[in-house]
Parts: sequence; structure tokens; C-alpha cells
Amino acid sequence: MIWVIHTLNGVSLGMLLFLLAAGLSLIYGLMKILNLTHGSYYLLGAYIGSTVIQTTGSWALALVVAPLIVAALGAVMERFFLRRFHLDELPQTLLTFGFLFIIGDVCLWIWGGDPILLPKPALFAKSIDLGGLSYPEYRLALIAAGLAVAAALWWFQERTRIGAMLRAGVDDAETARAMGIDVSLLFTLVFAVGAFLAALGGVLGGPIIGASPGADFDVMLLAFVVVIVGGLGSLRGALVGGLLIGLLDNFGKIFFPEFALFTIFVPMAVILSFRPTGLFGRA
Amino acid sequence: MAISTTLRRTLRAGLAAMVCAGLPLAGAGAQTKTPIKIGFIVPTTGGFAPSGEECVTGAKMYLESIHYEVAGRKIELIVEDSQGKPDVGLTKAQKLVERDGAQMIMGIVSSAVALAINDYARDKKVPFIITCDAGANELTMPGPLANPYLVRTSQNGRTPSAAAADFMVKKGWKNIAVLASDYAGGFDTIGGFADALCRLGGKVTQEQYPPLNTTDFGPYATNLDRKADAVAMFLPGGGGLRFIKQFVELGLKDKLPVMDIYAQSVYEPFLPQLGDSAIGIYSTLHYASPIKSPMNDAFVKAYFARVKHQPSDNAPDGWVGAKAFGDAAAAVGGNVENAPKFIEALKAVKFDSPKGPIALDKYGQVIQSMYVRQTEKAGDGYVNSVVATYPNIDQFWPLTFEQYESYKYRYAELKGSLTDCAKVLEKK
Repeated sequence: MIWVIHTLNGVSLGMLLFLLAAGLSLIYGLMKILNLTHGSYYLLGAYIGSTVIQTTGSWALALVVAPLIVAALGAVMERFFLRRFHLDELPQTLLTFGFLFIIGDVCLWIWGGDPILLPKPALFAKSIDLGGLSYPEYRLALIAAGLAVAAALWWFQERTRIGAMLRAGVDDAETARAMGIDVSLLFTLVFAVGAFLAALGGVLGGPIIGASPGADFDVMLLAFVVVIVGGLGSLRGALVGGLLIGLLDNFGKIFFPEFALFTIFVPMAVILSFRPTGLFGRA
Repeated sequence: MAISTTLRRTLRAGLAAMVCAGLPLAGAGAQTKTPIKIGFIVPTTGGFAPSGEECVTGAKMYLESIHYEVAGRKIELIVEDSQGKPDVGLTKAQKLVERDGAQMIMGIVSSAVALAINDYARDKKVPFIITCDAGANELTMPGPLANPYLVRTSQNGRTPSAAAADFMVKKGWKNIAVLASDYAGGFDTIGGFADALCRLGGKVTQEQYPPLNTTDFGPYATNLDRKADAVAMFLPGGGGLRFIKQFVELGLKDKLPVMDIYAQSVYEPFLPQLGDSAIGIYSTLHYASPIKSPMNDAFVKAYFARVKHQPSDNAPDGWVGAKAFGDAAAAVGGNVENAPKFIEALKAVKFDSPKGPIALDKYGQVIQSMYVRQTEKAGDGYVNSVVATYPNIDQFWPLTFEQYESYKYRYAELKGSLTDCAKVLEKK
């Protein structure tokens, strides 16, 4: 039974990693921007979520408000800053790096340096019995939430008109533009969606990972590993990569407790040596 | 405020005594006119920022009580942010000493930062007063790290561990699962615990080392040895907070008592977030805010009025470090530029504090009381109440330096072998 719990731990972390990596992957796929600010979206999501919960007492509201605010921030970043350096990777990456520090400092200024953990929604605050062992319902809810987001994103990408435009943009932005697709609007939209997902990860992950100065770096690093393993630009890659890294990290910590620092990076190096573009990435 | 009047009176008496004894108060010449600059390095950003801020507040509370003046010289406190990073800390130390003209370095918090600055302070012969945390044992022991210009008034890593092991064995818990963060301070602390536990006939049944930036503690909590009698842990910087939450959610709290060595999880600023999860957790530390003494009562009241939460150990540590400085500076008539004399005076200080009586050993490490606390609900909040006290113990307690030295392995070398008591206790 303990192995069921270990597996559930890994899957729930994997779902969280998926939320964080999905936006990063989408943004890279469409715009070829390595967005180092992605961890900051997580952090802002968690902090704003905690403030909303504290002032209104409503978890559901936090789950909507925090991602929307962060999505707006993402849109602003794309429209007014990153756009100026379209396809110019170095200035773009440096710009997102600058935003990482600015947002980190603003968070420190507003929310202080104390690490915080978000409370859990009352609905999922208890633990259930799993063959004599108790397991937090919240992690099960997290798995369900991750699957729901994955399904929604798949539907969005495969079954909607905007999704089709998005796929066209990823494949060949020039031709897509020639076909009359408003790639410019698409860019802003994808950036906002990416930020939204990361902030959603912030609120959902808040009760487990929490928010603290420096969490933006840690989360960004994890998201990058997932995206590299899964393949840049692929949603399926983000999901499989997230689950794989979540499980590997979890079991790595149990079987090789003294090498916990490497349990994520060794698999990444191994996968990269066999598939340099990641599991689902295209060359 | 009661506390500052007491202090002022003490200080005035001290000064009077010195004048009577004919000590050369103005003897230091031109130097007496220039201010004494204290370079105070703590993390004010990053995960250890709350500890750093408490430390500064505690130091300020003392310095204000002497009106930032000692032996006729003004005191200037220059606070710099180390971000908890050794390279940044070292750069700040160089800046403070070489550009600002600071005569000493205080503060610290992170052991890694302390180790980076230690070499520099030794080379430059700059007095280095570790005021807060930074418990790396060997900084104040004879050996490669020994620095004649160093004193530490906070606490080393192994004494809270030794007290924790003693208390747990007395409770009848002999098979212990341990967790420590994967860095030098973690190995020192948990190695010291295993050493003390083995000597008392107990045994570590499982060791786990989560990296400092661990995001999800679920695996570690799930993986805990459920057959152990209890858990002992050292997870600083917010890790303990996350671990305890997972531990409680997995329903383990009713089965395994928890000893939080050095109180990094039931750290006072975290108590409101931990809520009922914290109730019943034991911790060892050289301070507890409910210590009953007029001095501590006044200190806690004054601190609470300033920042609206209970002090952890860092505020009284900051206070004690500043008072040790103040007393020593007064004893040398303000001539802190004479570093050897100033350090000698520092090692000779003896006073009462919110933590209890304070003295220093010949290596520069503080001798003070160790408290075993247990978290309880108190009114609207939570508090760590004292359940046992180990009065006035030194850095090698319950061993002597010679006994401590007789073991073959240093604590940090025992990582991965703590379950093997024969190796832990192997003699040279």
C-alpha cells in the first residue's frame, strides 16, 4: 500500500509540474522565447492567491482571480516588451531574466521574506483511508485538476479555431501570417495563457510547495527540466515529461536518498543523450 | 521601558567602575572621537530573511538602550544583505571592512556565509562575532577553521542535537528516524545527534537528506520509517514548515513523536501557519520566548511591541551579540582597533540575558542553557513552552574536548552511516 502512496505522490507532483511546464512549452513552441519569468508567474499566483484567500476567505475565488491577474501581466509583458525583440533570442531571454528579478523583489517588498504555505480548500482538507494508511484528499484533487487542465488544453488546441491557428503558427508562422491569421494577437494570447497556467499552478501548488523568495528559481528550474525532457513546444511532452519527472524524483528520493539532488538531472541527461530534442520534440 | 533602564544602570555602574579603576578611557587618543562601525551581515532577502531581520532587530534593541554609544564613541550599525550566499557575504565583508572602515563583522545566520567570511576575517585580523545561527561546529574548535579573531554568541550545531538525543532517550524513544537538509549544517547537526544517541544506547533507524530547495516533502514524509519510536529532524529555511504539513496530512503525527532539533520548523514566525499541526512537537533550542525571568519578560514585551510576533532565538541572539560587543568595547575603553585585546575582552564577558546567563569559553564559543520546548496552544496563538532545561552547557557537552576529539569520524563524514553505531562511535 505504501507503494500506491508513493506513486500517488509522484503523480500529483507530476501534474503540478505539467501545469508549470505547459505554458513554458506553448510559449517556446510559438514564439521561440525562453521565458525565464515563468517561475515568477508561479510565485505571483501563489502570493496573490494567499492574499485573496486571506481577505475573502474564498479558495475558489483565489483560483480564478490570481491566474487572471498574472495572465494580464503576461499579456503586458509580451505586448510592450518582448514584442520589440521578436525572434531575437538573446535580448528576449535577458529581458525575461530582468523581469524575474524585478518581480522577485516586488514580491519580497509586498509579501515579505517569510515562506508561506497556502491553506487547503475546506472541501479537500481531510485525509482518506487507503488500506490502513491515510492519504491527503488534496493530492488526489490535484491529480484530477491536472487531468482536467490537460483535457481542456487538448480540446483547445485540437478542436477550436484558435487552437488550429496556434498549431499553424507553431509549424510555420510566416505562412500562417500569409494565410490571414493574426499571429500578433495569437502571441499575446498564448503568453497570457502560459502565465495563467503557471499562476494556476501557484495556487494549486501553494498548499504543498508554498511561496517564498527563491521559489521562483526552483520552480523555473523544474519546469525547464520537464520541458527539456518532454520536448519544447509539445503539450503532450509537458504532460508526459511532468509525470515522468514527478515519479522519477519521488522514487529517486526513496531509492537513492543520498543523491536526491541528482534524481531529476540524471534522467534528464540520459534522455537528452538518446533524444536530443526531448521525448516529443521535433528537430 | 524597564529593560533599558536596567541596562543603562548596569552600564553606568560599569563605566563608573572603570573610571575608578583608572582605566584609560580617553587613552586611545584620536580614535575615541571617530565612531565604531559595526559591519552587520545578515540575509535580508531569500529564505533566511526572517532570521536576518530578527537578528538585526535584537541587536538594535540593545544598541538603542545604550544610545549607540560606548566609552565615548558613537556606534554606527551598517547592515548588509548576504542573501544567504557565501560569495555575496564575502563581498559584503570586504566592502564593509575595506571601504566603509568597519572595525568588526557581526550577524551572519548561514553557516556557509560564516565559513566564507571566516578566512577573510582571520587574514585581515578583523574581529568576527557570529551573532546569529551559523552553527558549524568546527568554527569554534581547535582545527583548520579555528580563528583567533572569532567568537560566537549564538549557538553551535551539536549542542541542541546532544540535548535532543538525551531528552528522547529519557522519554524511552531509542529507535529514531532522522531527516536533515543536504548541506554542511545539516550533516553537523544530525551527525551530532546520532553520536549522542549512540552513546546513550539508542540507534538511528533511517536517515533522509532532502536538498535545501526541496519543493515537495510528500515523498520524505511517506517514506518515514513507521516502526521507529520517534522522528528527529533538522530542516531549515521553510523546509520544516512544508515537511510538517505533509507529515500531519499522512496521519503520521499520532504515531510518531517529532523532535525538531534547533527548532527550524516550529520557528515562532511559522507557528500561525502551522496552526494545530504544530501542537505537541518537541524542539531543542537555546531560547524559548516563555522563559520566566524579569529580563526575558521585558524583552519579549518590547520585541512584541516592535514587530507584533513572538521572538524566536534570533532576536535574543542579536541582543546578546550586541551586548557582548558593548561590554567588551567598554572594557577596552572603546579601543576596538586593538583586535587581540578586544577579542580577549569579548571572551571574558559574563552577563545575564533574555536567554539566561551568558559566558564564553576559551575558544570563543558561548556557554549557555539549552531548552527542550513543546508547542502548545496559548490563547489565540501558539507558543513553545519549556519542558526541560540543560543549564549552562558548553559546546562539547556532555563530552570534554579530548573525548570529542577521540572519535575517528567528523560528523559530516558520517552522512550515510548514521544507522551504524559502531562506525559512529569508532575511536581513532
